[in-house]
Amino acid sequence: MYAIITISIVAIIVLFFGAFGKKKMILPVIFVGLPLAFIVNLMGWNQSIHYFNEMYIDDNFTIAFNGLLLFIALLIFVFAPVYYKSVKRPLEDIYALILFSLVGGLMMTAFGNLVMLFLGIETLSLSLYLLAGSKKSDPRSNEAAMKYFLTGSFASGFLLFGIALLYGACGSFNLEDIKLYVIQNQANIPAMFSIGLLLMAVGLAFKVGAAPFHFWIPDVYEGSPTLITTYMATVGKVAAFAAFFRLINSSFGDVDFLWKTSLIVFAVATILIGNFAALYQDSVKRMMAYSGVAHAGYMLIAIIALKGNAAGVLLLYSVSYSIATITAFAVLMMVRKETGSFSIKSFNGLAKHNPTVAFAMTIAMLSLAGIPPLIGFSAKYQLFVSAIEQGQLPLVIIAIVGSMVSVYYYLRPVVAMYFTRSIESTPFEAAKLYKKQILFVALLLIILSFIPGLIINLI
Amino acid sequence: MFQVYLFLFLSCVALFSAMMVLLSKKPIHSVLYLTLTFFALAGHYILLNAQFLAVVHVIVYAGAIMVLFLFTVMLLNLNKEGQFPKTTLVKIIAAIAGGLLFVVLIGSLKSFDLATVSNPAVSQIGLVKNLGKTLFSQYLLPFELSSILFLSAMVGAVMLGKKDKE
Repeated sequence: MYAIITISIVAIIVLFFGAFGKKKMILPVIFVGLPLAFIVNLMGWNQSIHYFNEMYIDDNFTIAFNGLLLFIALLIFVFAPVYYKSVKRPLEDIYALILFSLVGGLMMTAFGNLVMLFLGIETLSLSLYLLAGSKKSDPRSNEAAMKYFLTGSFASGFLLFGIALLYGACGSFNLEDIKLYVIQNQANIPAMFSIGLLLMAVGLAFKVGAAPFHFWIPDVYEGSPTLITTYMATVGKVAAFAAFFRLINSSFGDVDFLWKTSLIVFAVATILIGNFAALYQDSVKRMMAYSGVAHAGYMLIAIIALKGNAAGVLLLYSVSYSIATITAFAVLMMVRKETGSFSIKSFNGLAKHNPTVAFAMTIAMLSLAGIPPLIGFSAKYQLFVSAIEQGQLPLVIIAIVGSMVSVYYYLRPVVAMYFTRSIESTPFEAAKLYKKQILFVALLLIILSFIPGLIINLI
Repeated sequence: MFQVYLFLFLSCVALFSAMMVLLSKKPIHSVLYLTLTFFALAGHYILLNAQFLAVVHVIVYAGAIMVLFLFTVMLLNLNKEGQFPKTTLVKIIAAIAGGLLFVVLIGSLKSFDLATVSNPAVSQIGLVKNLGKTLFSQYLLPFELSSILFLSAMVGAVMLGKKDKE
């Protein structure tokens, strides 16, 4: 709760500094505000406080996921000054929008009421639509914003209709009341209830980018400015998954026959489409977009295998996916800055001149592919183990096949970096700017690889 | 008794202007008649004791959306007759679509037991006072947090609308 207040105040202060022309103060305020919010967020640990008539539930699940979201946002702000180095105008609007969307994300992990869920999703998405179009001079960015806005508002409509139907069946927006209703009417669930649940699942599947509602992801991720794509692919996805998990876990655990089959279909389609489409991409940015789709499929498995410590598994998977994705996108920003293209050819010979950066990219790719001993492996392993415990063996086999396919396309940039010669023979100029930050994130990824057990047992 | 006369009057206005939306030759007349329809419906809401809904209806539909329609019609210069040819195919499609909606409405009305419906004018739920009480007690947090949503929309509008110097 206090984290939301802190972030909102920081965003408004940022806007004021921008309005009064104090450009140099903007980033320091953010770098003080985000860690402060992180600390404030930790204060309610193990207390499980319910604020404002069950609107906001501050349990350990919320705190862990909100901490992750705040930390990812902080990492992305580390790259903001280098990414926007050549932009002369003050960027207070973009930074404020990122912070506002973060508030939306924090609401989504903690909702105890469907009104809060909808409000959180809208706050997150609205800011992301605007951020996707924040590079006004670039037609691709405009296209991305338009596509994201149209399809996203359509999905919000589905979600809202689902919420309305659920309200019609249960007479309440409160998750506890819906759970009570489910327990009492388990034998004869009305059609209105199951259709509402299905519509909500469709809306949320769109927001997490699961097939068959993934069609917006490649274009939007490719067209948006890379820093914003990183933000979308990490904060947007993790927040949507936390919301999805909380919704299913707190209200619909007892009626899994209503949603399990549809989610399994979503997961299988997402894993297959994401991995196989990524094979054919020439642009690394587009490949990362499809990889994001594939990872959404794996994360859906954590929701399907609801019992046991699925929340911990989801947290571990979110951590591993987010940190590796940030590293990969940071290298991509650097390469793009230098060569002006996202294609796989622009990675040629990177290892010779910039060994540190090439090493970071390799680590990120291997972790995303799930190669031991990196954190990506332990995340996938725990996920598959918990799914098998719930009797989802066929699903796990499909997921493993998908993982094996993914190794091919994750290794393509690595092969280009180490084994293909480049035409240019000078080291990248942009590497000087990005090197420290990229090294920091890659080291973080390596350190986290040693402590997967700590993360998984957190909640 | 006064209420019944008012109801009949408003209904006549609503039906007449709704028909005129379809029958007017000029798009701009259709838009203006649509505004009149919305006002008549807002009157119905007040009769049903739903003040808040009536006000929101006027502000959102008659205010915002209709102004948008008017601007579109004027800016794109659509205000000419015969711009949209009505072929037989279009007429058949429209008849089928409208007819299906009509059948659905009849069907749902038939299965509806009118005797059990309580008079909504008696209930106090739509009054601004009760709504405000709920909004500021039970739904205080969403109410406050929606300000973040609106603020981000405003910031974004300025960001997209502003002209960069470089």
